[in-house]
Amino acid sequence: MEQKKIIKWLGSLAAAASLIAAPLAQAEEEIVIGGSIPMTGVFAFAGIGIHAGITDYVKMVNDAGGIKGRKIKYVPEDTGYKVDASVAAFKKITSQNKVNLYYGDSTAFAKTINPELERMGSIMMAGASFATEINDPKKYPNQFLVGPDYTEMMGILMRHIAKEKPGAKVALVYSDTEFGRDPIDEGEALAKKLGLNVTGKIMTPPGSVDVSTEIVKLRRAAPDYTIFHGYVLAPIPEFISQARKMGMTSQFMGTFWSMDNSMVMKMGEAAEGFMGVMPFRYYYESDAKAPMLDKIRKMRPEYQSNAYMQGFLTAMLFTEAAKRTLDAGKPLDGKNLKASLNTIKNFDTGGVVGVPITIRGNSIPVGRIYRFDAKQQKMLPASDWIHLD
Amino acid sequence: MDWLYLLEISLAGIGSGGLYALTALAFVMIYKATKVVNLAIGEMLMLGAYLMFGMASNLGWPIWVAIVAAIIGSGIGGAIVERLAIRPMLGESPISVFMVTVGLSSVMIGLVELIWTADQQRLPEFMPSDPIMLGEAFISPKLFYGFLVAAALIIIALVVFRFWRGGVALRATASDQAAAYSVGINVPRVFSLAWIAAAMIAAIAGIVVGSIGGLSSSMGVFGLSVLVVVIVGGLDSVLGALVAGLGIGLLESLAGGYLGGEFKLLATFSTLILVLMIRPYGLFGTHEIERL
Amino acid sequence: MRIGTAKQSYAHDESLFDTRTQWVWLGLLGVSLLLFPFVVDDYWLYLACLVAINIASATGLNILTGYTGLVSLGQAAFMGLGAYTVAILEQRFGTPAVLNLVAGGAVAMLVGVVVGIPSLRVKGLYLAISTIAASFILHFVFANWSSLTGGTGGMTVPPANFFGIPLDTSFRLYWLIVPVALTMLVCAANLFRTRIGRAFIAIRDRDISAEVLGIPLLRYKLTSFALSSFYAGVAGGLWAYFFRVVTPESFPLMMSIFFLAAVIVGGMGTILGGILGAIFMTMVPEVLKLIVGWLPLGSEGAVILSPVRTIVFGLLIVGFLIFEPLGLQELWRRVRRFFHLWPFRAQG
Repeated sequence: MEQKKIIKWLGSLAAAASLIAAPLAQAEEEIVIGGSIPMTGVFAFAGIGIHAGITDYVKMVNDAGGIKGRKIKYVPEDTGYKVDASVAAFKKITSQNKVNLYYGDSTAFAKTINPELERMGSIMMAGASFATEINDPKKYPNQFLVGPDYTEMMGILMRHIAKEKPGAKVALVYSDTEFGRDPIDEGEALAKKLGLNVTGKIMTPPGSVDVSTEIVKLRRAAPDYTIFHGYVLAPIPEFISQARKMGMTSQFMGTFWSMDNSMVMKMGEAAEGFMGVMPFRYYYESDAKAPMLDKIRKMRPEYQSNAYMQGFLTAMLFTEAAKRTLDAGKPLDGKNLKASLNTIKNFDTGGVVGVPITIRGNSIPVGRIYRFDAKQQKMLPASDWIHLD
Repeated sequence: MDWLYLLEISLAGIGSGGLYALTALAFVMIYKATKVVNLAIGEMLMLGAYLMFGMASNLGWPIWVAIVAAIIGSGIGGAIVERLAIRPMLGESPISVFMVTVGLSSVMIGLVELIWTADQQRLPEFMPSDPIMLGEAFISPKLFYGFLVAAALIIIALVVFRFWRGGVALRATASDQAAAYSVGINVPRVFSLAWIAAAMIAAIAGIVVGSIGGLSSSMGVFGLSVLVVVIVGGLDSVLGALVAGLGIGLLESLAGGYLGGEFKLLATFSTLILVLMIRPYGLFGTHEIERL
Repeated sequence: MRIGTAKQSYAHDESLFDTRTQWVWLGLLGVSLLLFPFVVDDYWLYLACLVAINIASATGLNILTGYTGLVSLGQAAFMGLGAYTVAILEQRFGTPAVLNLVAGGAVAMLVGVVVGIPSLRVKGLYLAISTIAASFILHFVFANWSSLTGGTGGMTVPPANFFGIPLDTSFRLYWLIVPVALTMLVCAANLFRTRIGRAFIAIRDRDISAEVLGIPLLRYKLTSFALSSFYAGVAGGLWAYFFRVVTPESFPLMMSIFFLAAVIVGGMGTILGGILGAIFMTMVPEVLKLIVGWLPLGSEGAVILSPVRTIVFGLLIVGFLIFEPLGLQELWRRVRRFFHLWPFRAQG
């Protein structure tokens, strides 16, 4: 008897709420970008940057008049990097707005929501994930990656190694999570193809405090290059500082999420010489003409992370796809937006990516090697822009 | 048989075992005095580490001042927690008190995230960082010094419990509160003392753990492994904390070294179940006699 | 105003709902549940389904912890078992949804019995800790038995198939989830009218005395584990159909703590407690989001929401344990008692 009363109240409350929320809270003709953004939780550092990047680009476009006169509306929700919160945010935003484009916070969310995206057919999605699995236009027709996938990142690193030191010994250190395990097998196969010798594949338990055992294993592998993947910061500094003290001569490299300048600076002494692959320029770069970077620096006087660049570029690509779809006179749905995205060829990102980009499938397989210079406390370019296709 | 590898892995295991033992000591201290299973021990560790981080990095104090201040601050925090959350639960079922500590751990995690965000942080270096070489075998310096700290504190704790009046009072309160009252022991003060001491030890452990693995709001997960250590060693035995801590550290290291990183936790928890079946009160714990 | 009811038969005395008023309220509830999906939008339907799943799982945990007194922190792992079973069956064999749910419950039940075996040797906190160990071991299996479970990447679940209609929207899933949850509730309520239920309560109150009275402890403790993990398995299966992706990270220890908190906050040892606790714990984050949205904090608000939510969660547990150990259902009963005799007061 008790539960009925409560549920009845809930029901009438819900009915009342839906009546209030019923008129779509959106001006006519707005283009809506929804976002499940990890503004808190373990990925918060990235989430805040992504949020700022998207917000800034949307503001830029709206200030210039929007896309063919239509304004862009950005509707984010915090998810704490949890899948059910992401799904809940998605449902909430899509029920209150007519969403055309969406930014997802994780690989798990991208996979979960894919069937829903296909069923709805009205949304094109990108996100913080660079998972290899999503780089499959057949399985994920309404999604794309804003950068190379993790296997492609490994590929760029391996090609650089093979060029600098053919036949080098390589060790892979990765975390025991889906994020960490993603590119390891293909990366190993690729290394063999390039003539590199994978002497160690070391996995660390997630959230582990002490990695002495793994460091011992690394010493055994005696690699020339060590690639870390699946981490944001810890335990990379521990590995590097202890390895150096032990007299190991390995060079250390990382993938996208461990490459942000502020994160690398936190490594302290261990940061010197840390290398990795980045598909975007860093905030402070001024080696070539980069009008977008200048604009960003004007809008945001403080350093912005690589997550900011990723969000910024996502918004740029979203806007471009929407523009091309509207130019072709087609309605804004998932299929058309994706098709427009795939017409992007030799597109000038204004310097966010150092070379013009082409999006043939689901990823942008382009990147440059950077190395940390302790004197200047900055990541500086150490190679040309590498295309993978 | 690669003896050097085995030696290095074992040394690494004993080193990390020292950290387990230290945290287990804090846990046992609370259980010994107040019979509370404190699942928030990992979060108390985290708070101590973050306090030091805050003082050293955010306020810019010199490192050793920050460490001492963090330990004292943690002790105060322990006293507050005891007064506000544990004292009112006196006499309630152990499960309820256990759940209170679960709630407290959430509150602590939330506080840390609110003040310092959930980003990973690194503590400023304060330990000598040259690797310790035992012949050919390599020991991580931080583990080594952490182990020394742990061993020193445990020996002090053992001596205190055995010989100091306060330690005896603690043991008395643990075995029978009513009797302790009647002998004139100030039981509430003993409780506070136990929690303060445990919080300070947890802070020391936290600073060491933090300097090795960095800080994050999910550091408290360390507490779960420590839970295994105290069950295996005996919930109220300091010696058990030491032995089991070293043992579990060694076991984890061997499992990680020979089977693979993903087997570490599996090995730990399988041991837990094994011990629970054979000796439910742990290796050195006192057998609880249930009376109707 | 109802002061008492006259019961003229044993059956009447034992029944769950005994007065005309209660049946009327029940009827109203049934009607509102039927109409609910037609009047609310997708987001509320999503919440309703989530709440129903949580109610089912919390009731299962209540059977084990509230009624039998065996604290378990493995509820999420059992849900994971049910979810993975449903995922594997649906993906590989495409068997009907209800069959999959029952299978999920059965698998969870079998493992639950195994996990419950230590309950003969250890009690109270030690048992709780052994359930934590069990949940870690299960997590390891989920993450590493890649051929069956898809490893750390997890599995995607095709939508449940109900006589040819794919259940892929919250609206359609509502009609699967809510009736299943209701059935489970009624079964649980009825359980405590039977001998088995009373044995559980006896074990909770004093298990040594229960044994003296002739209740075989191991058999009934294992039954309790079996039932509660069956509930968890079915709830996990529903979860799998609802979220359509199952990964080892979907069922963390935190979720077990969530359910234990729901049972405690709602009121241990009562069916209503399980319901109220689940609803409360699921809706609190939503209410918090609303409150933080109203406060003039701008974008800062979103950033503090998550830690505030964590703090509130912890404070709720601590607060209820200290101030109202009997939980929400006790608050509800007090309100009811007040209105029973209204406009008169209970005593002078």
